[in-house]
Amino acid sequence: MSVKKPPIKVFGEALVEAGARNPNIVVLSADSSSGSGLGPFKEKFPERHFEFGIMEQGIIGYASGLATTGKIPFVAAIGPFVTARPFEMFRNDLGYMRQNVKVVGRCAGMTYSTFGPTHQSLEDVAIVRTIPGVVVLSPGDPVTITKATLAAAEHRGPVYMRIGSPDMPVLHPEDLDFRIGRGVEMLDGPDGTIIGTGMVLHRAREAVEILAKQGIKLRLIDIHTIKPLDREIVLKAARETGRIVTVEEHYTFGGLGSAVAELLATEHPTPMKILGVNDQFAGNGPYEELLGLYGLLGHQIAETVRDFLKH
Amino acid sequence: MSPFTAEDERYLERMAVRIRKSVVRQIKAGKAGHLGGALSIADILSCLYFRISKVDPANPGWRERDRVVLSAGHKCLALYAVLAEKGFFDANILDSFGSLGSRLPGHPDMHKLPGVETSTGALGHGLSIAGGMALGLRMDGLGAKVYVIMGDGELAEGSNWEAAAAASHHRLDNLVVFVDRNGFQICGKTVEVMSYEPLARRWEAFGWSVREINGHDIRQTVETVSSVPFEPGRPSLIIANTVKAKGLGFAENTLSSHYWRVTAEEMALAEKDLAEMERRVGA
Repeated sequence: MSVKKPPIKVFGEALVEAGARNPNIVVLSADSSSGSGLGPFKEKFPERHFEFGIMEQGIIGYASGLATTGKIPFVAAIGPFVTARPFEMFRNDLGYMRQNVKVVGRCAGMTYSTFGPTHQSLEDVAIVRTIPGVVVLSPGDPVTITKATLAAAEHRGPVYMRIGSPDMPVLHPEDLDFRIGRGVEMLDGPDGTIIGTGMVLHRAREAVEILAKQGIKLRLIDIHTIKPLDREIVLKAARETGRIVTVEEHYTFGGLGSAVAELLATEHPTPMKILGVNDQFAGNGPYEELLGLYGLLGHQIAETVRDFLKH
Repeated sequence: MSPFTAEDERYLERMAVRIRKSVVRQIKAGKAGHLGGALSIADILSCLYFRISKVDPANPGWRERDRVVLSAGHKCLALYAVLAEKGFFDANILDSFGSLGSRLPGHPDMHKLPGVETSTGALGHGLSIAGGMALGLRMDGLGAKVYVIMGDGELAEGSNWEAAAAASHHRLDNLVVFVDRNGFQICGKTVEVMSYEPLARRWEAFGWSVREINGHDIRQTVETVSSVPFEPGRPSLIIANTVKAKGLGFAENTLSSHYWRVTAEEMALAEKDLAEMERRVGA
C-alpha cells in the first residue's frame, strides 16, 4: 500500500495553510491544541490561538460568540469531548445560531483503543447529524483531510469533521476535485458497491482488492461528507450494482449506514449491509485487534461482503 | 457621556413603564408567558437601551455596536418590548406573540428579529457566547462592550462558571454581566432551591470585579454601569437586586408570576397597576 501519513499532523498543517489564507481563522484549545496537531498554528499565529483549559462546554459558546464578530473559529479536541459532552452547545450555539464555527473531533472512532469507551467516539456522527445545517465531514485519507480542512474553512456555516489518529495511507491523487457533499467513486465494478468513510476507508479498499482477486468486481465509493449526503452517487450505485455495503468506524446506527439506508429505503429500496460497531461500548485493547472484534479488518469485510452477495 | 440629569432619569423611568406595558400586551395576545423575570429586568433594559448601549436600529449589524445578550432567554418579552420601542421593528409585531410562526418565540431567535443578538433559552449558554463576542471585539480593536443579563436561578448551570473563569483568565474587561437577582425560580426561592450565595464573593473568587445595586433604581443602575470596567483587566459583574414581576401588585414576589396564564381578573389588575404607574411617571 501507498505512503502513510499521520492524520492529526496533516490536519494541523492544513490549518496553518488555511490560517495563512484567511486572517479571520482562530483556534480555540480546550487543553487540546497540541494533541490536535495545532502546535504549528499556535507557533505561526500566536495572537490567533486561545487556550481555554479543559472547558469543553463553554468553549463552544466562546467559539460561537467569536464567530458573531466575523472570526472563523476552529475547535479541535478528542471526539467525544467536542460532540457528546457539549452537544447542546453545538446544537444551539452553532446549529440554531448558524455560526461559522468548525469543530474537529480527533482520535474519533476507536482509535483511542486502549483508553476505552470514555475516549472513543462511535456516536459522534449520529448525534451531530441531527443538527440542521451542520456539515459532517469524515475524510478517509491524508489528501482529503487537507482538502476537507481547507473546504471547511471556506464553507460558511457550522462544520463537524472527524479524524482518526493512526497513520493513514494516501488513497486519493493530490489533484482530487474535493467538494463538500460530493462523494468520490474510487473503483468500479458491476457486482455490488462498498461505500466507505473515514478511518476505515482504506480497509474497505483492501476488501475490494481481495474480492477482485476472487473474481468479484465491486464499486468503491468514498463518502467523505456524510451530511449533506451525495444522493446521486448513492442512488446511481444502487441502480447500477444492486447491492450496497457501508463501512464505518462508528455505531451501525446513526452514521453513514443509516444515512444511506434512509435514502435508499425511501427512494430506491436496495439490499444493504451496514458494517460498524453494534449496540455496545467497544472495550479496549490494541487498535487492530479491536477493529477485528467488530469485523472491520480488510479481510473480514471481504468475507462479509462475499457472503452478502451470495444471497 | 453627558451628565445624567433628573430629566434623563424620568425619561428612563417612562421607558421602563412602556416596556412593562408591552410585556403585558404580548402576554395578553399569547394568553400566557414568562412575566416575572421580564418585569424584573425592565428597568435594567431601559437603562441599557436608552442610555448606555451603542446600537443603531437602522443598522442592526453595525460592526462597532455594543452587544446585549439575554442569557436568561425566557425573559425575552422585555427584550422584544425594548427593541420595538427602540425602533428595531414595528411594534404591531408584539401582538403576534403566541401565534403560529410568530417572530416572537417564547425564547428569542436571532434570525427572526433584528436586534436580537443571540438565540438563548437553554440556560447557561449566554455568558460563554458573550465572552466570545468580547474577545472578538477586542481582537478587532473595537471599543464596544458586551452586556449580559443572567438570572439568579441560572447560576446553577455549571457552564456559567466555565465561562466566568475564562472571561477573567482572558482579561475581558469589555464584558459586563447583570445577575438579575429576583430571588425566585420555578420550584421556589433561589437560595432554597440551589443557593449560589454569597454571590459577590463567588464571582470575586472567579476574578470578576463586583458591584451590587438595586436593579429598579434607575440612577444607581446608570451610574454603576457607566463606570465599567470597575477595574481594568477584569470583567464586571453587577448584582442587581430586583423584585420578580415588579410593578404588578398581584404578582410581585410570587412563584406563580414566573409563567403567567392570564385570567380576566388578573389582567384587569395588571392594567390598572400599569395605568397608575404611567400616571406616576408622566408617560
